Amino acid sequence: MASVTGISVRMGSVSCNRKQTLVIGSRILNTKSSFFPVTGRSFPSLKSRRFQVSCAAKPETVNKVCKIVRKQLALPDDSAVTGESKFAALGADSLDTVEIVMGLEEEFGISVEEESAQSITTVQEAADMIEKLMEKSV
Amino acid sequence: MNLLRRTVRIPMNTFCLHRTFAASALHLAPVQLPSRAESHLWYLVPDEVKSVSLLGQYSEILSPCENEYVACIRGEQLKKTALLARVLVRTTIARYQTDGYIDPRSLKFRKNIHGKPELEWDNDDSGSRPPVQFNISHTASLIACGVTNSSPIGVDIEKKDRKIQNNIISFARRYFTPNEVERLSSISDLNVQRQHFLKLWTLKEAYVKALGKGISALPFSTFTIKSRNFEKKELNGSGDSDPEITVESVDGQRSLLSNWQFTLLELAGTHFAAVCVARDGSMGDKCFTPKKLTVMKTIPFVGDESMSGTDAAIVCGF
Repeated sequence: MASVTGISVRMGSVSCNRKQTLVIGSRILNTKSSFFPVTGRSFPSLKSRRFQVSCAAKPETVNKVCKIVRKQLALPDDSAVTGESKFAALGADSLDTVEIVMGLEEEFGISVEEESAQSITTVQEAADMIEKLMEKSV
Repeated sequence: MNLLRRTVRIPMNTFCLHRTFAASALHLAPVQLPSRAESHLWYLVPDEVKSVSLLGQYSEILSPCENEYVACIRGEQLKKTALLARVLVRTTIARYQTDGYIDPRSLKFRKNIHGKPELEWDNDDSGSRPPVQFNISHTASLIACGVTNSSPIGVDIEKKDRKIQNNIISFARRYFTPNEVERLSSISDLNVQRQHFLKLWTLKEAYVKALGKGISALPFSTFTIKSRNFEKKELNGSGDSDPEITVESVDGQRSLLSNWQFTLLELAGTHFAAVCVARDGSMGDKCFTPKKLTVMKTIPFVGDESMSGTDAAIVCGF
């Protein structure tokens, strides 16, 4: 059971051109376990340095990425794949990562240069990059 | 089961194995550094390592950082592979001692700018610093570590029966070169095509890893891997005078990058393994002598088996 001991809200300077998405970071005591979905949203653990406030990807995007990752790595639907999940720790090798990126390109209609693929190491990073790229193409 | 498989076992009394498996009491038999004309490929089958106490002793060889990383991995099989991969690297390198015993726990590693692991030596280690270059690759069911004397090396392995989620030709069009797409497209049997794809992938990965880069730093569409013939032969150390597998850069010039040697194997009957090694700078194009690759199966602290010339290490066509 998660207990919320503090809520911090941060409005950093925004480099995105679109409307801000405000995400409230809450403290979850058991940081090693899966996220506890609250009212259908997942909250990032305070362990990650980025507070993911201003330009965090929408949960729907994160969920779609999780689905593609699960499919590529043949993980069961209830396996713990969340925004914080690292591809390498889930057992993804380089071919898996490239296949995942290709799957994301097709799902979201974007193009990810190989040079950027290096910076995608977690589900959240993939989701953030997707939304950034989708913005650019608008 | 191939009853004709020849194995050369190193006498077990080479190793000291105490009942308590205390890490400090376990000894690693030294191995001679390969000459500049040779490379070594060590491999380990995780499923063959069952002893819980041995696995516990293996954990004691890892650094605190490495143990922390292994602890973060979910899933017992993935955890075990991560542990064994690091143990294989540490113990293998430690065996190439040139000046006295090297404790595998004492080795330090760092990653280069692209994430390739490298050995890091302290300034006062100069006496006992073997000129080892290494590269590792693993799947859930096999771990391989290539070693050379001073030459950059890249190793990549993939399970032969691995399924590709995306359409292979679409994938190749997206990430490979037109020449490679053409070659893949010309294969009508889908299973053969899938296997060719995997061989090509391992060769390309081995190349960028040998260069110390990753796919991000050297996109796969910037170089073509080609083959000269399709024959299958056993690894017997006496290669052809012309390289079978070559790499060309795709940049207007289409220049042959002749200073890299590739070996493609079917390893342990279950995997494709590609090894890419830099050729010695002193050799000219005219006198190309392929580097000999010696394949050894191992369980650290337990024993080795030479696999060269057996059906566990077959040079395969491309």
